[in-house]
This record gives sequence, structure tokens and C-alpha cells, in this order.
Amino acid sequence: MEQKFNTSLLTVFGPDRLMAEVPFEELTPGFDCGGGTYKVTSEESEKFSILMNDTNPYEAGVVPVGMMYIFGLRICWDRRVFIDGSIRAGDKISFHKPARIGDTITTRLSIAGKKEVTKNDKLRRYLYIDMNATNQNGEKITDIQMSFLMPVKK
Amino acid sequence: MSKPEFASVRIGDEISPVSINITQELLNQYADICGDYNSIHLDVEGMKNHPIFKGTIAYGTLNVEPVLQSIGAFQGTGWPVEGTKLDLLFRAPARPGDTVASRLTVKEKRTIGGKNIVICDMASSNAAGACVIGTAEIVVL
Repeated sequence: MEQKFNTSLLTVFGPDRLMAEVPFEELTPGFDCGGGTYKVTSEESEKFSILMNDTNPYEAGVVPVGMMYIFGLRICWDRRVFIDGSIRAGDKISFHKPARIGDTITTRLSIAGKKEVTKNDKLRRYLYIDMNATNQNGEKITDIQMSFLMPVKK
Repeated sequence: MSKPEFASVRIGDEISPVSINITQELLNQYADICGDYNSIHLDVEGMKNHPIFKGTIAYGTLNVEPVLQSIGAFQGTGWPVEGTKLDLLFRAPARPGDTVASRLTVKEKRTIGGKNIVICDMASSNAAGACVIGTAEIVVL
């Protein structure tokens, strides 16, 4: 499929060692998964609003709320936070200031914790990753803690 | 219900639902906006042979979208009011052809630190059942 994502909106940063290269046993809370920035344009905001048929009465310049995921998804892929075989289990989301057209949103990704549960002799591994978004003034936009069911090698 | 006074909110009230229709074209366009080109959402032919899904599935974040819009409409702000929180679990995928609709039911009201908060059980479901479940703490101005 031809990729039409506007990569000029995005920068990605972080340590050379990616989370995906570290065994689950060695991952610890605070591990820096990197991050990136996303430039919010009126074009992308309008496109998203139309696509989602979001007719809510936003204050002028505020972007549709569903875009809060857009700021981080590509960065998660580029920083290889979505590991092959892992399953997204859930999200805890806290809303702060709204994102606005013209903002440069910085997303930082880090490990919040992990958990191992054995049920019926079956090991389940959960990994929790913080995805924190701030604007160019350092104001919080959203804090999202993503939880993943991780693959277990047999 | 929409844009109520906090005092008029009752336990058991339903917040006006929002629904979206999942189509392959929606998934394709969503990919172009977010830059997530995972084949599980986009490879129509390849995913027909997937042992579990037997076809493409929607982005989990799309299943949350009706809930987000419903809360924004309820608050009258679009973007959720500062302090609003969601705690959600992804239960099952939605697929092209599905309509996914939000359901938020008031289960509790609290006033904490001067903030009026409506706590709701929340789900986002297709015809087969819940794709997303959880709890929403919605700040009411």
C-alpha cells in the first residue's frame, strides 16, 4: 500500500538501544523508549475531523480529541514500542490542556512497569508504557499509560 | 442526555451515544493520518488467511473514538475538560462493515477538590458485543 503519511510533520528521538532489543527480564521502570514531535496543522486537523465525522463544538483552533492518539502512534512504531506478537490490552488516559493547530506536540515514551501472572500454568506477561504528550510550552496535553500482553517464548 | 447541570445528573442516566461506521476506506485514510501502516489493518487479501481474524481489523484507537466524542459532547467542549480520565480495556476487534457505538452509564457522582465528577461505566460495542470496556471519570463544569 502506498504510504501517504506526511513524514515532515514528525521527528523522532531517543537512545540507540530500542526497547524491542531488550529482553523482557531486563526491562525496568523508567527505561527510556524515546519519543518524538508532531506538528499539528490545520490540514491534518480538518482531515481528521471530516474522517471521524466529529461535529462537537470545539473552541477555535482546538483539534478533534481523537487526534490525541495520532500524536504518538507513528512515534511508537518508529521507536519499535509495538513489539511483534504483543497485544494492546488497554489504556489509562488523563486529559489536560487541549491540543491546538500550530502546536508542536512532544511525546515521550518510557516503561512504567511490568507484571508476570501465572494462571492455569500459563505465564502471562504485561508491560506498561507511559506515553506523555506536552506542547511547545511544556503544558501537558495527555498522559496515556498503554498496557500490553507480551509474547512469551515457549 | 447532553450538557446537563451536575445536580441534574442521576445515577443510571445514559450519555448520548456516538457511533462510527468502520470501513476499509476509513482504515486506509486513518493510516495516512497517523502513519501506522500495520498490515493487520490494511492488507485486505493477506488478512483473509489470518488464523484468528480472517480479515482486516480496525485500529483499537478507532473503537475508542465514539467514547471520546460522546464525552466531549456531554461536556460541551469537544476536547475533554482537564481532569477527565478514562481507564479502558480492549476486549475484541471491530472490522470493516461494523458500526461501533459508545455507551456511557452514570454509576456515581463525586465532588473532589471543587471538581464535579460523573463516573460512568463505559463501553464501545459492535453487533457482536463490547470492543472496549472501562470506566470514565468525567469532569462537569
